[in-house]
Amino acid sequence: MTALLVWLRRLRVMTVKELLQFSRDGALILFMVYAFTFDIYLAGSGVHFELKSAATVIHDSDRSSASRELIDQFRPPSFRIEGTIERGAEGTRLLDEGKAMVVLDIPPRFQESLLSGAPTDLQIRVDASNSVLGLFAANFCSRIAESFGFQAGLKRLGVAPDRVKYLPRVRNAYRVWFNPNQNDTWFMSIAELLNIITLFAILLPACAMVREKERGTVEQLLVTPLTSFQIMFPKVLAMAAVILAGTTMSLFGVLRYCFHVPFRGSILLFYAVTLLYVFTTAGLGLVISTLARNLGQAGMMAIITYGPMIFLSGAWSPPEAMPRFIRTMMLLSPLHYYIDASYGVLLKGAGINLLWRSILGMGALGGTLFTLGVWRMRRQFE
Amino acid sequence: MNFKRILAVTSREARGMVRDKLFFAMAFIVPALLMLTFGYGLSLDVMHSPLAALDYDRTSMSRDYLHRFMDSPAFSFRGYLKSERQIYPLLASGTVRAVLIIPEHFQQNLLAGRPAAVQTLIDGTFPFRAQTVKGYVAAINNSFNLRELSLYLCRTRAMSRRRALAGLEPIKAQVRCLYNRNLRSDWSIAPRLMMMVMMICPPFLTAMGVVREKETGAIYNIYSSTITRGEYLLGKLTPYVVVSIFNAVVLWLIATEVFGAPFRGGRLFFFASSVLYVICTTGMGLIVSVLVGTQVAASLVTFIVTVVPTVFYSGMFVPISSLSPSGRVVARLLPAMYFTNIVSGCFLKGVGFKVLWSDAAVLAIYAAALFMLGYSRFHKRPAS
Repeated sequence: MTALLVWLRRLRVMTVKELLQFSRDGALILFMVYAFTFDIYLAGSGVHFELKSAATVIHDSDRSSASRELIDQFRPPSFRIEGTIERGAEGTRLLDEGKAMVVLDIPPRFQESLLSGAPTDLQIRVDASNSVLGLFAANFCSRIAESFGFQAGLKRLGVAPDRVKYLPRVRNAYRVWFNPNQNDTWFMSIAELLNIITLFAILLPACAMVREKERGTVEQLLVTPLTSFQIMFPKVLAMAAVILAGTTMSLFGVLRYCFHVPFRGSILLFYAVTLLYVFTTAGLGLVISTLARNLGQAGMMAIITYGPMIFLSGAWSPPEAMPRFIRTMMLLSPLHYYIDASYGVLLKGAGINLLWRSILGMGALGGTLFTLGVWRMRRQFE
Repeated sequence: MNFKRILAVTSREARGMVRDKLFFAMAFIVPALLMLTFGYGLSLDVMHSPLAALDYDRTSMSRDYLHRFMDSPAFSFRGYLKSERQIYPLLASGTVRAVLIIPEHFQQNLLAGRPAAVQTLIDGTFPFRAQTVKGYVAAINNSFNLRELSLYLCRTRAMSRRRALAGLEPIKAQVRCLYNRNLRSDWSIAPRLMMMVMMICPPFLTAMGVVREKETGAIYNIYSSTITRGEYLLGKLTPYVVVSIFNAVVLWLIATEVFGAPFRGGRLFFFASSVLYVICTTGMGLIVSVLVGTQVAASLVTFIVTVVPTVFYSGMFVPISSLSPSGRVVARLLPAMYFTNIVSGCFLKGVGFKVLWSDAAVLAIYAAALFMLGYSRFHKRPAS
């Protein structure tokens, strides 16, 4: 009984020490607040992964009612007509300078051929130096041209416009679940919150540990009756508390207040998952801290692990589009499980019955990493 | 300015860097590794999205409709569902990303010349993916419709299949994707990654190098010496700029040789602008290092201050014209956007100094301003 009390008291004293040390680094606290609020706001607002106001330039050699009707289809919010040009070469120049993204060339006698039923070619030049948006723009433009041609074709074949909806076609109605307006803000702000949590959960415990090594204070700790676990664990505990405080700040201050993210599931479950994740990732940080001899090295190693973690997380690159080898690697990234679980809780309202696999995976990884960290630390010092 | 003193600081700094073997090795490994992992891993192509179907009709036509989805590389079919109750858990757990529901009388309606309705439920958690999936569904649906309608016209108007199809598709859209004909995402990402990596690594190296002296107290040697602050900063930062310029060349080689991105612009101009950009980002590290006092803070601050603005407010993924008005202001205030213009201009578009001189000029001004600011904030007599 007393042994347990002593154990707990040691834990408490060490945790308080870590918190004190953290609270004395004013610049760090300031930037932590920045990271958990303004940085997430910056990532969440103003970023849209869709075709939006694509600068469009028209080269209309026909100047008929049909060509004007077609131009009318390139409307906001996806397109923004920047103006018309007289010569095709001017379009190339605008594309080169990045002033236009789409150049639409309407051939002469466009209307005439539409009315006579002769096939017409419509030239559309798209700046594809950004491949994703180039693809969006290319698809969007050809869909507009096709449906415009389809309507014109039906009219020529003698189908009255009001009869079109009675034709035998399949109407595919979409319903987008969980984020009906496909609000990029929700996705981006949550993704950034998870990234920030990851960064802090790797770096803070790792740096807290390496600093002791760099300054030599770890020798002092080792001559105390504390075990390796009792030296390492309070660091993780203190940093987890700090990170959870930051998470609360951004959950309620930014996500809910500014972006109106619906918290569909249990917030408590989200906190529990976050705590588990912080411990998992802190385990990684501890492993780093046993490898690095000074803070410069620790920071570099953190960057090396952070980069692959982000891209193996599945938030940016869909796992099913990846080669099998990388998909297997993804199972080793704790962020992969955490992203599934947090989007599940926050946006989809999923409970533990749907997320147990992610939680289990995270727990297993965390346990392994943590044990590895403690084991290496013990080997180094005892 | 005494060049001997600058040289002394430079050689001391260089020696310190070389002696910390792990740190020195990582100064070169980290940028290359980041470039390779992101270049290979950051595939934004949405393919093989898992799809399930709930077919209430179970006719040859409904199966034919579904087969168009199964055969498309955009989807990977995960099986038929039995009831609507199965849908929520599948979508919520992320097992499938879209569910197609075909109601009864699908075939009957179409054969009778009436429209038929189907429904697609899409997981919108990742809006970018939902958007792409929607596009694929629309395209597949369209091609099915075109065939059905042409068959219908054949039957009712007694015209040939070919004429019916041509009549429904009078406009052929010839979309030419300039600069990146096959829409390869690695071609478009690799050059921009150069911009990103060179924004993260130099400030990190610099800030850690300067702050380490502050934290360990070694900086008091500098404070008490005859060296001026200008000489100290120049000497201190030169090795980091040299390392980063070397890294920029390595990254350029990775972009062109490993990822095969075409480089169509002028090499000399690009090299000069890269040097300017590296000086800019090193200057950012300098600013960070005069603001913070510990290496922990320095590493976190450089990371947070550099990553988000460069990834989202530089035109790397999202073009500047698509940003919100306030986002456009943020983008213009940072050097990343100007270098992104230079990178995508020189790599894919093959334009040079004539178009891009203004971006390079902004970078030069930026670099000068950052160093002035760092110089004015760095004091040999600390406040306390």
